[in-house]
Amino acid sequence: MFVWHKRGHIFDPAAHARAGWMHAFAQAPATLVFDTFVRVYFSCRPRPDAQGQYVSHAAYVDFDRATLTRITAVAGRPVLELGARGTFDEFGTYPMSVIRHGDEIRAYYGGWTRCVSVPFNVAIGLAISRDGGVSFEKQAPGPVLPADPDEPFVISGPKIRRFGGRWYLWYIAGTKWIPTDGRPEPVYRIRMATSDDGVQWTRSHRELIPPRLEADECQASPDVIFANGAYHMFFCYRYSLGYRGRERGYRIGYARSTDLTTWVRDDDRAGIDVSDEGWDSEMVSYPHVFEVDGRTLMLYLGNDVGRHGFGLAELQGTLS
Amino acid sequence: MKWAKRGLLFEPRHHTLPNGCTEFAQAPQALVFDDFVRIYFSTRNRDEQGEYVSHIAFADVDTQVRRVLRVSTGTVTPTGALGAFDEHGIFPMNVVRHDGNIYAFTCGWSRRVSVPVETAIGLAVSHDGGTTFERVGTGPVMTASHDEPFLVGDPFVLVRHGLWHMWYIYGTAWMDTPSEPAPARVYKIARATSRDGIAWERTGTRIIADRIGADECQALPTVFECDGLWHMYFCYRHATDFRTNPRRGYRLGYAWSRDGHAWRRDDAAAGIDVSPSGWDSDMLCYPHVFWSGGQAYMLYNGNAFGRGGFGVAALER
Repeated sequence: MFVWHKRGHIFDPAAHARAGWMHAFAQAPATLVFDTFVRVYFSCRPRPDAQGQYVSHAAYVDFDRATLTRITAVAGRPVLELGARGTFDEFGTYPMSVIRHGDEIRAYYGGWTRCVSVPFNVAIGLAISRDGGVSFEKQAPGPVLPADPDEPFVISGPKIRRFGGRWYLWYIAGTKWIPTDGRPEPVYRIRMATSDDGVQWTRSHRELIPPRLEADECQASPDVIFANGAYHMFFCYRYSLGYRGRERGYRIGYARSTDLTTWVRDDDRAGIDVSDEGWDSEMVSYPHVFEVDGRTLMLYLGNDVGRHGFGLAELQGTLS
Repeated sequence: MKWAKRGLLFEPRHHTLPNGCTEFAQAPQALVFDDFVRIYFSTRNRDEQGEYVSHIAFADVDTQVRRVLRVSTGTVTPTGALGAFDEHGIFPMNVVRHDGNIYAFTCGWSRRVSVPVETAIGLAVSHDGGTTFERVGTGPVMTASHDEPFLVGDPFVLVRHGLWHMWYIYGTAWMDTPSEPAPARVYKIARATSRDGIAWERTGTRIIADRIGADECQALPTVFECDGLWHMYFCYRHATDFRTNPRRGYRLGYAWSRDGHAWRRDDAAAGIDVSPSGWDSDMLCYPHVFWSGGQAYMLYNGNAFGRGGFGVAALER
């Protein structure tokens, strides 16, 4: 089992509110390491509108590289504009995953639209920054990874990586919507696609991680890092219904692969769980693992899926 | 081209349709059998919210396309699952015979909040000779992506020398229009190719020039071969005030091509226009051309987008 030492709740969006676009939530943290700081991208929300509907904006906060807890800057505006009327990302950009590519920084993000019979749909978009990650411009008005016959809706949760000169995208795909007395609830599972250029994708068309809690287990945030000769995936999972409390809410799972094709799920090794009390006592979710200066760190969300921001944990030793 | 109109061929009010549908027989599409021609079309009922849902039905007609022999009695293909791209209707459905199989390319509709609708193209296969169709997957084969950001629909497919050709439309704008109750859509005709009918390669470009301005809406291409050329009919209209203003509603456009890729628009040569009076006096739309017994026929809708049914015209050569 990995041993993670929790370093606390390092970012609360309420303490850095921005009029009109950042009121609460700092979800799905993703890092980019700079010389003197580590930039953490996240998705935040303004207050809901009169109908109680949210939009999600992508933003960042910079932490001093030595401490990783001292904030040195917070985005003054969203890094990515919402889409035009009728486009896939009109109502949200969440989550976002970033990677350097030459002089550019690419962002793959979930674009949200609103539907009538179900609350939303999501497809994955691509945006590019040419100013060091302060702002991103969409590569096109449509998505780079939309639905297909086998992945009919809710294509979301992108995590972009490059290994051995190839592009890898881990993401989630919806399998069904469950009717309820209120809003229908989606079921989604972890999948993978590969690419030579990051634009044209070939999907593996299979679920990588077998469900453990129930047949309709929902899985998100498939965050992959290579260390000590193996690929390590931290992700989060929960029950499909009644998941807003401690009993059935998100936990962090773990899977391992040596060939990027076969994954062995072993949640007992994840080594991080809810706390007895405090900001992460009901759920832990949306892990992102990164290395900096010989340290292995995890950013993750706590209660209410990041309404109050994210925390940091540090691995004892290395991922083996 | 010169088309001899024969008048209304199918009027939904004269038949009992499946799924409780009573009005509309839109976007007729033919599948030719030895001794009859099956014409699939979209008809409508209303759901629990009182909103229209388009369903596929068919009418079988004789090989000379003069009279209706029978009408489908069951569901041809059900609408999609909760949250799926075709949950709220299928309109139109293009049917293709290839290698002993019958394929249907569907235009699925689902409702949106900020705009009325989104569409995408699905694939279904018939295992019973064209009576019913089963989806290939829950999701679409062609949907919004890259430079085609919404409203991918209206497929028309031909298979030639192992290559699948699809002509279809995609949206280019949702316009704010104070005069209309909802944002107005603009869409254009494009082309994609495939080796298997499932994975499609798009060219990312429009292929039919505008005639009535940049906001011209182009819909439902149909392509056929005749005298060594490819011919396309489609319908086009103004983006706003098109429902009841006969001067701004759908008309038929025409283009021709030597290779199916580069097209020259020539509406003046279409050889068919609105009638002075009657069921197709205000509007012509949703053309579909096919061959039966060495004769080319065009099925099409008239006034009110086909609320009263569809008609037929024969090519004069």
